[in-house]
Amino acid sequence: MRALASLTAVLLLAAPARADTAEIDAYSTLFYEFGGPLEMLVVTPQARVRVDPADEVSLTAGYEADIVSGASVAVVDAPSADVDVITSATRLEDVRNVVNGGLTVRSPFGSLRGTYAYGFESDYQSHSFSLGARSEVFERNTTFDLSYARGFDLVCNLAQPRAQEAVERRRLDVSEGCFDGDNPDREATDISLQTFQGSWTQAWAPIFVTQVTLTAQLIDGFQSNPYRAVWLGRTAAQENHPRNRFRYAGSLSARLWLEPLSGAINARFRAYRDNWDVRSVTADVGYEQVIDGAIRVRARFRYYRQGAAAFYSDDYALAPRGQYFTGDRELSDMESFLAGLSFVWTLTPGAEGTELGPLRSFRLVLKADYVHHQFPGFRYVRAAIPNNNSIFATLGLELVF
Amino acid sequence: MRPSSSSVATLLAVAFALLFASGCVMVRPEEREYLADPAMTFGSEGIAGEHEDHVLTNREGTAGAGAVVGGGCGCN
Repeated sequence: MRALASLTAVLLLAAPARADTAEIDAYSTLFYEFGGPLEMLVVTPQARVRVDPADEVSLTAGYEADIVSGASVAVVDAPSADVDVITSATRLEDVRNVVNGGLTVRSPFGSLRGTYAYGFESDYQSHSFSLGARSEVFERNTTFDLSYARGFDLVCNLAQPRAQEAVERRRLDVSEGCFDGDNPDREATDISLQTFQGSWTQAWAPIFVTQVTLTAQLIDGFQSNPYRAVWLGRTAAQENHPRNRFRYAGSLSARLWLEPLSGAINARFRAYRDNWDVRSVTADVGYEQVIDGAIRVRARFRYYRQGAAAFYSDDYALAPRGQYFTGDRELSDMESFLAGLSFVWTLTPGAEGTELGPLRSFRLVLKADYVHHQFPGFRYVRAAIPNNNSIFATLGLELVF
Repeated sequence: MRPSSSSVATLLAVAFALLFASGCVMVRPEEREYLADPAMTFGSEGIAGEHEDHVLTNREGTAGAGAVVGGGCGCN
């Protein structure tokens, strides 16, 4: 927090007196997962500062954290007679911190941007860089956006001989000693991420706009959960995912303004596939109502369906799937249903005689979503699957000076 | 199933035709009132939308695949 305060002070002091705009955003999200004997709670506070030292330049700095508490199943598919996966679940408490900064330069024809973020927690570290360019053509009716992001991550693992067979690898039980160079029982393994994304946004009419987005991502490195083991028949071994994953997705979004209602319908369809043979489709529809120009209420529904990874099995003792094995339910067949509501209230000076002092605008954001997951191909032997319902609620304040 | 070269060519042709057609679409600046509204702007959900993406990325096998920053989360 001290680093963020210093960074914020530097940014605000660096802004010349003639800066057109400065903005401070403060958000907090609560994510609570329930349903069954295990629970998970994640609280995510976030602050972001943006200053425009010149008309063409914006600088941003931010901080966010994930404060996690809950329990996680340690050994998946263990016979219930020997190990009860629920009562043997390991408690976890962790804090993930991310500090980030960015620069955007604008011109009449488009903009260039760069960002950097450093994330760290007890068992994971990441450095992420991104570059992006946006261009507006045909009288701003057409917008193209290209971006490239590069991630250099490190995940903590139990130090084990490199030549050891995957079926003999043990899971990491605690994060103590991670990234401690003097601890011979821990090692840091790397993950490399590269993401390419392009989008085309097109205004077809004064009330209709679409966006097509294509994304490709290459991940190379240790992608298993180091804490999770899978029962293989005679023993349990740390889950073993392929080191390489190539993911690609395409989406089509549309927004239509309904003039008589003073609101807009939005819809999005996304298709995804990767080289682990996981495929998914997502459909998202919503409606946003504008009330007196200051209040916005949005309702939305989202449906998501995915197929299992090629190496996924719900029982590796009886039905192994080659050299890889996983206890990750998010690699099994799954569906999710989301329903959400959001409320945004924007106050500007002069609106009905409002005085806001130095503020140009004040915005309050409230958002709540409920999600239900179904895992038809996943089970913990005889135990019910926990944590298949979740809610997340967001409270945000945005102050523009 | 691998896409055939003819289906790829058809897709490319459709994409170029749409792109060419988009150059003929002219919404004049004075007609952009509704297009400028946040309800018509992609990505206008801002930080609240980023938080949702972060949650779903950690809860679904194929969410994300975008420029997600920070990894980890430790909440599997």
